[in-house]
Amino acid sequence: MAFGGVAMVLGVLLGIGEASSPGSYTNVQFTWLKLAPSPGPFPSGFELVMGTLVDPISALVLVVVTVVGFLVLLYSIGYMHHDRGLPRYYAELSLFLAAMSGLVISNNLLEFFLFWELVGLCSYLLIGFYYEKPSAASAAKEAFLVTRVGDVMFLLGIFLFFFVYATKGPAGTGGWAASGFVFVHGAAPFVPVGTGNATLLTIAGIMILGGAAGKSAQFPLHVWLPDAMEGPTTVSALIHAATMVAAGVYLLAVTSLFLGFTALDQTVIVAIGGFTAFFAATMALVHPDIKRVIAYSTVSQLGYMVLAVGAGFTMVGLFHLFTHAFFKALLFLAAGSVIHAVGTQDLFKMGGLRKKMRLTSAAFAIGGLALAGIPPFAGFWSKDDILSSVYSTLPSHPAYWPAFLLAFAAVFLTAYYIFRAWFLAFSGDKPRDPALEHAHEGPWVMAVPLVVLSAVAIGGGLLVYLPGFAGLLLHGGGTPGIPPTLSPTDLLLSTASVLLAVGGILLAWRLWGNGRVAPLPSSSAVRSVRQVLLARYGMKAAYDWIGTKGVYTLARGADFFDRFVIDGTVHGFERTFGGLSDRLRRIQTGVVSDYASYVVAGLIAVFALMLLLAPYLLSRLGGA
Amino acid sequence: MSSLFDLAGTFAPELVLLAGALLVFLLDVLKLRRLELVGSVSVGASLLALALVVADLGFAPFASLRTLSAAQVNPSLSALATPLWTFTSLGLVFQGMFLLATLLVSVASLSRGSKETGGPIFFGLLLLATLGMLLVAISSDLIFLLLAIELSSIATYVLVGYTRRGLRPLEAAMKFYIIGAVSSALSFFGASLLFGAYGTTNLLAIREVAGTVGTPILALLGYAFLLSGLAFKATLVPFHAWAVDVYDGAPSDVSAFLAGGTKKVGIFAVLLVFLGPILFAGAGGSSNPFQGGPFTLGPILQVTLGTLAVVTMTVGNVLALLQKEMKRLLAYSSISQAGYMLLGVTIGTAPAIAGATFQVLAHVLMKGGAFLVVAGVAGLGIGPLVDDWRGLGSRRPLLSVAFALLLLSLAGVPLTIGFVSKFVLFSAAVQAQGFFVWLAVAGLLNSALSVFYYARVLKVIYFEAPPAPLPTGGAVVGGAGPEPLRAGGLGIGRAVAIGVATALVVALGVDPQPLLGPIQAAASHFVFFWR
Repeated sequence: MAFGGVAMVLGVLLGIGEASSPGSYTNVQFTWLKLAPSPGPFPSGFELVMGTLVDPISALVLVVVTVVGFLVLLYSIGYMHHDRGLPRYYAELSLFLAAMSGLVISNNLLEFFLFWELVGLCSYLLIGFYYEKPSAASAAKEAFLVTRVGDVMFLLGIFLFFFVYATKGPAGTGGWAASGFVFVHGAAPFVPVGTGNATLLTIAGIMILGGAAGKSAQFPLHVWLPDAMEGPTTVSALIHAATMVAAGVYLLAVTSLFLGFTALDQTVIVAIGGFTAFFAATMALVHPDIKRVIAYSTVSQLGYMVLAVGAGFTMVGLFHLFTHAFFKALLFLAAGSVIHAVGTQDLFKMGGLRKKMRLTSAAFAIGGLALAGIPPFAGFWSKDDILSSVYSTLPSHPAYWPAFLLAFAAVFLTAYYIFRAWFLAFSGDKPRDPALEHAHEGPWVMAVPLVVLSAVAIGGGLLVYLPGFAGLLLHGGGTPGIPPTLSPTDLLLSTASVLLAVGGILLAWRLWGNGRVAPLPSSSAVRSVRQVLLARYGMKAAYDWIGTKGVYTLARGADFFDRFVIDGTVHGFERTFGGLSDRLRRIQTGVVSDYASYVVAGLIAVFALMLLLAPYLLSRLGGA
Repeated sequence: MSSLFDLAGTFAPELVLLAGALLVFLLDVLKLRRLELVGSVSVGASLLALALVVADLGFAPFASLRTLSAAQVNPSLSALATPLWTFTSLGLVFQGMFLLATLLVSVASLSRGSKETGGPIFFGLLLLATLGMLLVAISSDLIFLLLAIELSSIATYVLVGYTRRGLRPLEAAMKFYIIGAVSSALSFFGASLLFGAYGTTNLLAIREVAGTVGTPILALLGYAFLLSGLAFKATLVPFHAWAVDVYDGAPSDVSAFLAGGTKKVGIFAVLLVFLGPILFAGAGGSSNPFQGGPFTLGPILQVTLGTLAVVTMTVGNVLALLQKEMKRLLAYSSISQAGYMLLGVTIGTAPAIAGATFQVLAHVLMKGGAFLVVAGVAGLGIGPLVDDWRGLGSRRPLLSVAFALLLLSLAGVPLTIGFVSKFVLFSAAVQAQGFFVWLAVAGLLNSALSVFYYARVLKVIYFEAPPAPLPTGGAVVGGAGPEPLRAGGLGIGRAVAIGVATALVVALGVDPQPLLGPIQAAASHFVFFWR
């Protein structure tokens, strides 16, 4: 707790420090392993370094991580007080915060990957915090396995980039190999962006995207995040909303700044981001579980960030990462407050909680308004910046049109689903389930984080007009989209999106306001759509099917292979080596004259080697 | 180099050890045989010598090089003007590592218990053996080199059997002595053949003429004999058979010294003898000894050494897989590690020699530490079988963690020194390209193979239930713990030695650069000198 506080103070100080001297880089590193230059594949040597790099964007994300981390730790005192295993909880949460901070300030990709794996491990442990619940245990496994697919792709991506850039780099540095995978060289990207084998770079970029998609729950690797809600709500707020899932976006940002994506990569990233933003929002429309609605919303919002980074507006994406971290953590903590009070996550059992929990209801509403993108709340500035930035590229990149339209439509869905949740939980006279009558606010440790986060969710977006803060988002010479432009087109676009959002809220009010429960639609078409959405488009079932049938078949094949080929070989080896070893062991007679004769035999063998085998080998190999 | 005083300064570390050994024997004569007393002399002498060597390295960093010939010592021997001793920086690094091994073993042996007799013999011989090892590291003449090896060997023959209790140590000592004698004979015969081929036994002089003068067959025969003799010391297969019986039969502290210290004498001797001809570019002559004309020895020697290295690591690992006794397992693993070191010598480039040197350093710490743990565990009343170690993890947590770290390092897990040394070594092999890439592949496959038996030991220690309650109580003293020395406990000296070895294994794995950098510099200087 105290450590969390210190970390927050340090993090914010770092952020202020960076903001006061925009564009400064502090790179501290030491060489872990160094191979001296010598002729061969790496003429300038090879280095592995460990180091920290504090630059504007890492300072920005560090502020997010430490502030939200501290608030969540504070909130946990109230939320988790009745839980067993608190030492485990705080240990794992602290390990997560340390790993996440390490990830943010890594100065090279290998170190980044190490911390990336570490946050993945913490996520696994914390999703499975209630490991005695089978659903929690299986959700933890699912999260681990699905993100693992991404991790493997990420590692392949690093290797591919390394393969291309190993010997390329600024003059006098000897290339990426000799500089230990570091991102920066002074204030400039280390690796010359976009030089090298285009095909390989495209594949490398796709691999990095795969890693990011796994961590940030982008289509088609999004399935684990809603199930990750099995963990404590505090964990969902910190790891699965504000920080860890944003690591994927951060990875894309770092990669785009320091390594660069090819045009084809960008198109794919934009498409994935835009599609995920819409696709996840649709699934949030009908879900009865308050946490899962917010989880789908997280997937959808991460889609916006990916879209922005893909379209080349890295900083706009990070701006949304910043605002989203706060208002989404707010939504989760507010939801946690509700769950803490009523003991259920089913929206249809709640209702009328506004009167019993005024602070929570206000906080949730503020978070919802920010999420829906209503000015002047934080989400409006960043989300609108994304939309208008992407819109500005449409003339030159017609391939971005579908993604843009999907993301634009998702604004309406977002406003609808989040206010559906609000109306269901808070509006009306009394809870639909009478057992929830006794609901009340949590202790002050839970209230303080809600208030602080609400403040940021209201005003955080306007920070972008502060020169110092904007400096955190400026990278090198000028960044498109920061601060948001205010041309007539942008204003028109903003007006349209705000109108869409308001429309969504109104629809939610019409259907669910004042404690109404809209009857299930009668027409079979709507009903079946609802079913499809609740079944998550069948993707979960499909993955399960792939898991059980496909992988099982594969596993049987592998098992066959394992038994007959590998085991056969291994047992063959064992028999061979066993026999050999047995024979060799019999050589170890313990009789000293035998040993002496081995020495003589060895001498003869060495001489034969020199006279016969070596010249033969040398003539075949053409010299050693 | 005229005055005796200068001479004493040049050989200061060696003289310190000699004085220490003589003092120990003097104390023995005076019946002052307390283990702590003679042990302290040994610790002090090796520490002082180590400080002198490090200071020498520090004051004369890597560029300067001293040579010394018999003629310089005694002007009447003007015929012997070629350097008998050459103080290279790499030689000094090896001296430092030898002294480190001696120091660890001495400190650990302080805890052998006052009942133990023969303390003066043990420590005195330890210092004499170390003196021989130091002389090996600075020799540049075959005869002097072989004599220095003899000095260390004869001391260790006696060390193995010094307790005079039980048949096993005595049997081991006898075997060691007989095979050692055969090997010495081979070495000296090889040296005389080389003298026949080249007209000199001076390694620097041979380097000048190797490949251009002499009869190829005679030289090859000489090298074959010499290699067979030195391979005994370095435990290369098939000259290794003694090592398992001796490591197993000797007191574990002596095994730690043999595996951690004297084996590297063989490696460095092979390096000294073979680096010259390997690096000698020659007149570009043929490598076929049956053809006339100019002749290049290097590639033939490289193929021979490379084959020997691969055979050594493979046989060592395969046999380690099936061992049921802890000491024999460690002995075979030690044999396979010698193969890795020989790999670096074979390649003969500066990075490869740096890798081999770092591997030697790693092995001093890992294997020395591991044998010290074995010795300590034997003192706790645990049997010699791997299965006797069941459940040690819960009974002796600190000791088990140390042993686990040492084994993980032997297996080459990252963030331990074992990973760094293998990484440096194998990447040097890959950089050398050609034939050597295959050596790297063989080394990697062998590392994978070795993980199996290390993992098996870890599994036994941590995941199997203890066989029966441990007869002795008492917690393990970790590092500088306040636990008093007690019967059945580890003893402070041993705990300190194990703690230091383990700490260095991890520290140098986390940040190898402070030592790796100087070793790389020393290696490139050494290669430059021998080219």
